[in-house]
Amino acid sequence: MSITTASDSGTGDDAVSVVLQGRITAYTAAPVWKYAIDTLTRNPNRRVIVDASRLEYVDDVGIALLFDLIRRDRPADAQVEIRELAPNLAALIRDYEPKDFVAATRARRPIGILEQTGRATAQQMAYLKEIARFLGACVRAFRQARTVNWGDVFDVATEAGANAVPIVLLMGFLMGVIIAFEVGLVAREFGAVIFVVNGVGVAMLRELGALMTAIVLAGRTGAAFAAQIGTQKVNEELNAISTFGLDPIHFLVLPRLLAAMLVVPLLTVLADVVGIFGGALVMATFDIGFLQFYNQLLGAVTATDFMLGIVKSAVFGLTIAAVGCHRGLTTGAGATSVGLSATSAVVTSIVLIVVIDGLFAVFTS
Amino acid sequence: MHTQARADNAAATAGGALPAISVRNLRMGYPARVLLDNASFDVGRGEILVILGGSGSGKSSLMKTIIGLYKPMAGDIFVNGANIATAGVEEKAQTQRKLGVMYQSGALFGSLNVLENVRFPLDQFTDLALADKNLTARMLLHQLEMAYAESLMPAELSGGMLKRAGIARAMALGCDILLLDEPSAGLDPITAANLDRTILSLRKNLGFTFVVVTHELQSILAIADRSIMLDPVSRSIIADGKPADLRDHSTDARVRQFFNRQPDLGKQQARS
Repeated sequence: MSITTASDSGTGDDAVSVVLQGRITAYTAAPVWKYAIDTLTRNPNRRVIVDASRLEYVDDVGIALLFDLIRRDRPADAQVEIRELAPNLAALIRDYEPKDFVAATRARRPIGILEQTGRATAQQMAYLKEIARFLGACVRAFRQARTVNWGDVFDVATEAGANAVPIVLLMGFLMGVIIAFEVGLVAREFGAVIFVVNGVGVAMLRELGALMTAIVLAGRTGAAFAAQIGTQKVNEELNAISTFGLDPIHFLVLPRLLAAMLVVPLLTVLADVVGIFGGALVMATFDIGFLQFYNQLLGAVTATDFMLGIVKSAVFGLTIAAVGCHRGLTTGAGATSVGLSATSAVVTSIVLIVVIDGLFAVFTS
Repeated sequence: MHTQARADNAAATAGGALPAISVRNLRMGYPARVLLDNASFDVGRGEILVILGGSGSGKSSLMKTIIGLYKPMAGDIFVNGANIATAGVEEKAQTQRKLGVMYQSGALFGSLNVLENVRFPLDQFTDLALADKNLTARMLLHQLEMAYAESLMPAELSGGMLKRAGIARAMALGCDILLLDEPSAGLDPITAANLDRTILSLRKNLGFTFVVVTHELQSILAIADRSIMLDPVSRSIIADGKPADLRDHSTDARVRQFFNRQPDLGKQQARS
């Protein structure tokens, strides 16, 4: 058991005495340290004698405590003196210079809103430049698409596409069910239930099939692309690829771009079909039979609606893959950077998907 | 015979007596911190050159500049006579294929097993039949005493095995210059000594030129024909010679301090 006390008492020559005894360790130092510093503070103009003769043991915290006592800026006739400290500890403490431990007094200059705006703008401009450079490299890679390793494209397509089928089916089906049910309840009030079929058909084919598939893929595949390539960068695999004279864009990015452009439209078709099927199931509860639903749907949607959704989904796929790969390639050092890249790939992809969807809506309406 | 073939091949590609690597007036580093300025040195054919220096002195950066991953701020780097510093994309890629590089972590592709990793360059650049590529890769692994591990994944390998597999992969395309980044770092003394022996054996049997980045003193003394020492303060090469000569006879205190593993003077010593 450790016993540590500190006491002060006036001495004959007007000096204050502080006696340290027992063991001063990380677990016991706090009250001793506070007491000793309080003593120094209460006696700013008196000499302080620290009696260390009864110290049994000090760890690194104890050494810091002793150093803290002697490093303080006090008048010449009010210095702190440690007496009878073990020679090895005294040598250790002498090795430190008080000036090396002065806290930086220069406060960080506050940044004004104008400078903040400028910095943020410069950052975004640099990011846009970087993206433009990356897209330029992708376009160059597309020109050499004939030489891509189609085995890699197939592997990525299997992982990003085939393995995503269940989740895309579930999401598409639920979207169709939800839209049909919510709109159907309102439409029944106006006796216009049959037109819910039009709504479900157009919404699934033009918007929701592609949008929901893209959002699922952004979370699933975009993050995976960023994490895979980011990890390869951290492990110097990208350097190894470069030193084989291979272009990482052609070797790693192009297969992913092509795979995503192929599988997102295919998944969108599935989402469209199950979404409309879900809508048909719900409409049956509103007394709209399957045949009636089918006839109404044929009159409500056109091939253009379907094609618009498919083209849009291909652009979404390209966007998700490009953002994921770019984030992977720009990953910094360490495991944390890989996580940040994956997160930022998902967020950026979803934002871009919504923006692109908005642009499609504006230019195709 | 193999050695002769490699030497002939090197002579054919490099035009005879050219050094394997020639660095001229190189300035490299980062915009905020130049690590080396106006540095020139050659690496002779069949030579083992060790680049040494303390942590942060720019050893690995110099290696990455030589292999074309970092662009030099100024100067020329000739590899087998081709200037990698000014080469276009295709020419640079061709030059890089003549260099075998082993990175500090091995940099094996995590999704491929050891055999597939070693076969990777052959898959990418040759039309060989799969069986032939496998045989070549297996022979390389055998040479590096890694044959038993061909079906293991990189995550299952120890540090020494990762480095051996990395060297085997680096050799796969029949290059004649091997650059190794910290081959002994993090290895136990026996594994490190085995790797040193492998490097010497590859040079002796196959005539490789080696550029090795390390600060492991025992490795330096065991393998290097010549070493250059970088100093980030003066941004220059402060020593160039045989390691034992530098250790015993260098007039530069920094070089002697490095080779004799002497610590910086502590404050207490400095004050006294």
